[in-house]
Amino acid sequence: MLEINNLRAGFEGSEILKGISLTVNKGEVHSIMGPNGSGKSTLSKILVGHPSYEVMSGTITYEGKDLLELEAEERAQAGLFLAYQYPVEIPGVNNAEFLRMAYNAKLKKEGKEEVDPLDFDDILNEKMKLLGMDQKYRERSVNDGFSGGEKKKNEILQMAILQPKLTILDEIDSGLDIDALRVVANGINKLVNKDSALIIITHFPRLLEYIEPDYVHVLSEGRIVTSGDKSLAHDLEARGYDHLLAKV
Amino acid sequence: MTNIELIENGEERVVKKFQETRKTSPLNPKLASINEKALKRFETLKFPHRKHEMFSFVDTKDLASTDFQYRYGPESPLNPELLKDFIYPESRDSVIVIVDGRYDTALSNTSRLDKTIELKSLDEAIGDAELNNYLLDTVDREEDVFASLNGAFLRDGLMIHVLSNSQIERPLQILHVSTGSKGSPVTTVPRVIVKLENDTKLDLIIQSIGIDGNYFLNSIQDFILDKSATLNLVQWQSDPNNSWFFSKSWITLSEDSQFKSTTASNGNRLTRHHYHVRMTGEKADLSLNGISVLCDQEQVHNYVRVHHEAPDCRSDQLFKNIIQDEGRSSIDTTVIVHEGAQLTESHQLINNLLLSDDGVADTKPNLMIYADDVKCDHGATIGQISEDQLFYLKSRGLAEDEAKTLLTSSFANTVLQEIDCPSLKARLKETLLNKLGVKDV
Ligand SMILES: Nc1ncnc2c1ncn2[C@@H]1O[C@H](COP(=O)(O)OP(=O)(O)O)[C@@H](O)[C@H]1O
Ligand SMILES: [Mg+2]
Repeated sequence: MLEINNLRAGFEGSEILKGISLTVNKGEVHSIMGPNGSGKSTLSKILVGHPSYEVMSGTITYEGKDLLELEAEERAQAGLFLAYQYPVEIPGVNNAEFLRMAYNAKLKKEGKEEVDPLDFDDILNEKMKLLGMDQKYRERSVNDGFSGGEKKKNEILQMAILQPKLTILDEIDSGLDIDALRVVANGINKLVNKDSALIIITHFPRLLEYIEPDYVHVLSEGRIVTSGDKSLAHDLEARGYDHLLAKV
Repeated sequence: MTNIELIENGEERVVKKFQETRKTSPLNPKLASINEKALKRFETLKFPHRKHEMFSFVDTKDLASTDFQYRYGPESPLNPELLKDFIYPESRDSVIVIVDGRYDTALSNTSRLDKTIELKSLDEAIGDAELNNYLLDTVDREEDVFASLNGAFLRDGLMIHVLSNSQIERPLQILHVSTGSKGSPVTTVPRVIVKLENDTKLDLIIQSIGIDGNYFLNSIQDFILDKSATLNLVQWQSDPNNSWFFSKSWITLSEDSQFKSTTASNGNRLTRHHYHVRMTGEKADLSLNGISVLCDQEQVHNYVRVHHEAPDCRSDQLFKNIIQDEGRSSIDTTVIVHEGAQLTESHQLINNLLLSDDGVADTKPNLMIYADDVKCDHGATIGQISEDQLFYLKSRGLAEDEAKTLLTSSFANTVLQEIDCPSLKARLKETLLNKLGVKDV
């Protein structure tokens, strides 16, 4: 589904990612862990086409296509989704209306008929229930004045509505308390299936108790320094990054 | 005569016109003392030359050098069909149509208004000494030279008087229609006085439209709110491109009164809103919002002076401009907290969205504070569409154009969502966004 090959990329000429290779297949759950500043968010934003970052060399293939050739909206329409570490606030844009526009953009791409606000209401209701979200988040502006946890839930709500093929969750656990984390993790588990894939970025192993990864990669200073199965996450929890990074 | 000479002789020309006008079509004798006084005031104030404090961002050369013909009422009767689209369903039976400065009873429909609202022409109402004194006083205190022209050429006006303890359910609408001119430029000087007595509530819509352009609508409006009166005002300047629009608003707020106003402007050759607010009673509440959407060379300027004269009042201002092409806007606003006006709370916020390199947005928010226990702030921003917001929307699958439309309309929405009347709100959104070539969503 996704193949990253020796990716070097950065910001205004400085290299942040120093040769990353990663393959994600359908049905897999990958976790990328690593200390703050190691380049996790940079990688995720490059995948969805953020214009601030510059790819210096390497390739990214998504479903057989050159991902770097696609505009951000084309990537989204092709089923790529990033739940942001820091979701953007958009005052004045109604959340429900925004969600409907995003949903309709997907339907349009698939050649299906767009839904009107009434029909969309039912779809939205169901997904909000799944995530235990208060109805008030429909009428409010996108992320405007939401608490950290509410913003994260709103990201997962978008995931639930768009049903992407490849989802990247960037620190979705930060800002959520234990109960909210359980609800959100349950929601995510219901949304993934054998045809989709998930990349979970976190530097807390806690989330991985709820969503079990098939593979764990450790990113440090722009490189994947080690990969393994979920026992690597337990190892990290018990002994921390320093131990691991020292070993490398 | 060259333009320069015309400007230099602008004042003389106006005085001559005043004398001529009196000879050919006499002004209203009951308003003669107002006219005379206002003309004197005009001669003292003079047209703005070079850097005038009140017109820092506004070039009025064009206006001062144009030889306008004063008009009162249309040259030929107006076809009511032309107005159909501008009368909102909510106010169909409470609409006042003023054509070229003259109240037109045939085109108006006031069937829903009962005895809780008195509608009088100034000619009828001026017998009241209090009103006469009030008008003379505004002439004396006038600092705005264009408003003094209104007073000098005033023939009649309209007085809307809401009697105490009445809550008017549905909105009252005033529609200013300028027929304009295919030949030489014309000007009209409407005056509307809105007085709300104690414990009243009124929703008021004031819109200006034009048939042909080539006119200068130079109006004065007075809003006098007695104790615990509430006025919700929506104004819409929607004159054609080839016109000038000035309005001077005298706003007086007594104890516990509430004045909430949203003004939308399409812009034209030159639009200027001048608000002079006096908060004279404790706990008065003012909310003054403005939105303008400008393209080509359209201009909209706001000049605001808010006087907190009594303690414990609150004033909020929010002005937003969306500017493309060579559009031009300015907000010059000062809040003056007078001595003794303790516990004043005041916020001034100006946001400009510049969609082109050639647009201009001048801002000058200012505070003058002569009391110590106050909470005041002001701020101004100029920006383009946020790249972060745009990217967020695109990364959810929205096309670039669609995302930009959504962000532009959301910028205007934060002002427009304050409007209660649904059909007016929908019309406004549609019209303003159409100007930018974007559709409402
Ligand atoms: N937009 C940016 N501007 C400048 N530096 C950036 C930007 N984004 C990331 N960086 C730098 O890149 C490095 C990696 O950051 P990031 O990808 O956010 O790390 P992580 O998500 O692993 O905490 C950091 O040193 C950070 O300062
Ligand atoms: Mg990060």
